[in-house]
Amino acid sequence: MRVFVGIDLGSTTTKAVVLDEYGEVIGRGITNSRSNYDVAAQIVREEAFVRTRFTLLERRIQFIEELERNFRLQQHLELLDTLRQAMLMLAGGPKHAAYAHELTGRLDEVCNRMRERARAQFAPGAVRKSDFFRDLAAADYMALAEKTAEPKGITFDLLCGIFDAAILSVENATIENGFERHIRTALAECGGQAAALKPAVDEVLAIDLQELGTVGTGYGRQRLPFPKEQIRSEILCHGLGAHAMFPGTRTVLDIGGQDTKAIQLDSEGIVTSFQMNDRCAAGCGRYLGYIADEMNLGLHELGPIAQQSTQRVKINSTCTVFAGAELRERLSLGQARQDILAGLHRAIILRAMSLLARSGGVHEELTFTGGVARNPAAVAALQELVAENYGARTLNTSSDSIYTGALGAALFARRAAERMAA
Amino acid sequence: MSDIVTVGMDVGSSAVKTVVARDAQPLVFRIDRIRKRDLRKVIDESYDAALAEAGIKRDDVAYLATTGEGELVDFRRGHFYGMTTHARGATFLIPETRAVLDIGALHARAMKVDARSKVLAYRMTSQCASGSGQFLENVARYLGITLEDVGPLSCSASNPEMVSSICAVLAETDVINMVSRGIQTADILKGIHLSMAGRYVKLLRAIGADGVVTITGGLAADVGLAEAVRQKVREDKLQLEVRTDPRSIYAGALGAALWAEYRHRVLSQRSAA
Repeated sequence: MRVFVGIDLGSTTTKAVVLDEYGEVIGRGITNSRSNYDVAAQIVREEAFVRTRFTLLERRIQFIEELERNFRLQQHLELLDTLRQAMLMLAGGPKHAAYAHELTGRLDEVCNRMRERARAQFAPGAVRKSDFFRDLAAADYMALAEKTAEPKGITFDLLCGIFDAAILSVENATIENGFERHIRTALAECGGQAAALKPAVDEVLAIDLQELGTVGTGYGRQRLPFPKEQIRSEILCHGLGAHAMFPGTRTVLDIGGQDTKAIQLDSEGIVTSFQMNDRCAAGCGRYLGYIADEMNLGLHELGPIAQQSTQRVKINSTCTVFAGAELRERLSLGQARQDILAGLHRAIILRAMSLLARSGGVHEELTFTGGVARNPAAVAALQELVAENYGARTLNTSSDSIYTGALGAALFARRAAERMAA
Repeated sequence: MSDIVTVGMDVGSSAVKTVVARDAQPLVFRIDRIRKRDLRKVIDESYDAALAEAGIKRDDVAYLATTGEGELVDFRRGHFYGMTTHARGATFLIPETRAVLDIGALHARAMKVDARSKVLAYRMTSQCASGSGQFLENVARYLGITLEDVGPLSCSASNPEMVSSICAVLAETDVINMVSRGIQTADILKGIHLSMAGRYVKLLRAIGADGVVTITGGLAADVGLAEAVRQKVREDKLQLEVRTDPRSIYAGALGAALWAEYRHRVLSQRSAA
């Protein structure tokens, strides 16, 4: 690799800068000037070269980010194509025969626009509203459909109906060889750096991932195609997972999609008592999911908006659906959405507090897991309410806390395999 | 005397219904689903489209009355409570009506009415959306079927799957599970209809309804739900005849348009005197 070096030998310090062929700074070095100027220049050059090599490594890593982003884009584009086919097939059905041509044209146009938008959604630094294709596609589609729809003929309702039916078939198709499928196209899209990582990609492609053990848990665990001994209750898995992440944990609050669990643990991560919510969405993650849908926001966006609140609103409804209606009503009355959202976050945590109390209180340390623990406003509300009711407690959260149950399950799988081997 | 044009707009949480009437006879019935669009825009569109269909200009409307969440219609002249408009709309459509079952997106209401559509007694579902229209709309979306197909499918069910959970939001996951267990869409819908119907029949019993019950509100067009209510009525051995009309979903807006005509007349007489 060809580089250019500049050295500034000062009275106190000696500085060096390395440029690449394109004039970009790829390394800097600094050392103290000493009695021997030659040595100082030598050392500072070597320092700058060390830094240069790290920069080159960083570029590779950045390239991996780019590669993964390209990969995700390819995946998304493939699903968009499947969606287009599914919608066009529905549009070609006998039900829409009278205006099939017009409808097909509109759908094609909407799909083309969705493809164009996808590039921007997967651009460097872009924040996506959701991790899931369904959410991303629905948000784009609805916005575009509203624009293209007419009061009569190709109505908004008709377009929505076609999407709703098509997305099901898209979601229910499984995809084989996920990595292999798109990695080469993604690599090719990376341009200049592609050649450098090709051997690594090939090597990784050739690795055989041997699944020595698998354990299932969660709400749907009984439906998993696993033998009985490979199923563990979600209480046990969340307990063990939380213990593995934060060994000092004695109380776990897990707010998942439709379950809220308060679990007490001993020092080994063994469950000593627990409480779960009744089958009501108020007080679990679906509550916030429903609210996000109502507001056309991504789930990730709720917390940060709620945190901007200066004057929290008290939400009167308990039921999720009614809370949604109350939200709409308050919004149309002109109340600030951040204040309403702050109230909604407090409402969900208030429900969790009663569950914690029934399970035996909050002991040092408290670990907050499940999807809702990713939400900063929910964490803040919990911190506030725990301090009010139990005094100061360490509150553990992790950006990976949504995986706590799966982590516990994987640890059970490993334990079982070790026991078999012994 | 010139024709009196009145308009009733029923702003629900799921759809806006608009009825244009001339001399207390309905001319145009219109429904616009909100589907997360800006409500004010939907209201404006619905109003203008309904008037265009009737061939009437805004200036020629003598009285615009709202019902439901009509506060957002800032160009209205008056507002009527949902119960009075549904009662009036139902008795207009089916004069023998002695009870009204209004099933909307969020609430269900049973009202006992007399021949002049006066509300004698009423009962509402509680502050929980189990068995609401919103719930059914969500379920239909998860099943990938349009709301119009829900009723006929439910009627074709042979082995209804009873819904175990009652939470409107979490029942959606139950539905997904049922699909993955291979249960037929028709049987899922029928099970949901029956569980909803059970709740409504309790309301009807509580108000001491007898005679003809007319279903109104957004779910009135759902023939499967009406059939489920009839089945529950038979099981409970109640002396009720459950009816719907193709225009039942517009009962609120229709009632508002009719009350608007009445109020306009009273006001004109008063100003003349």
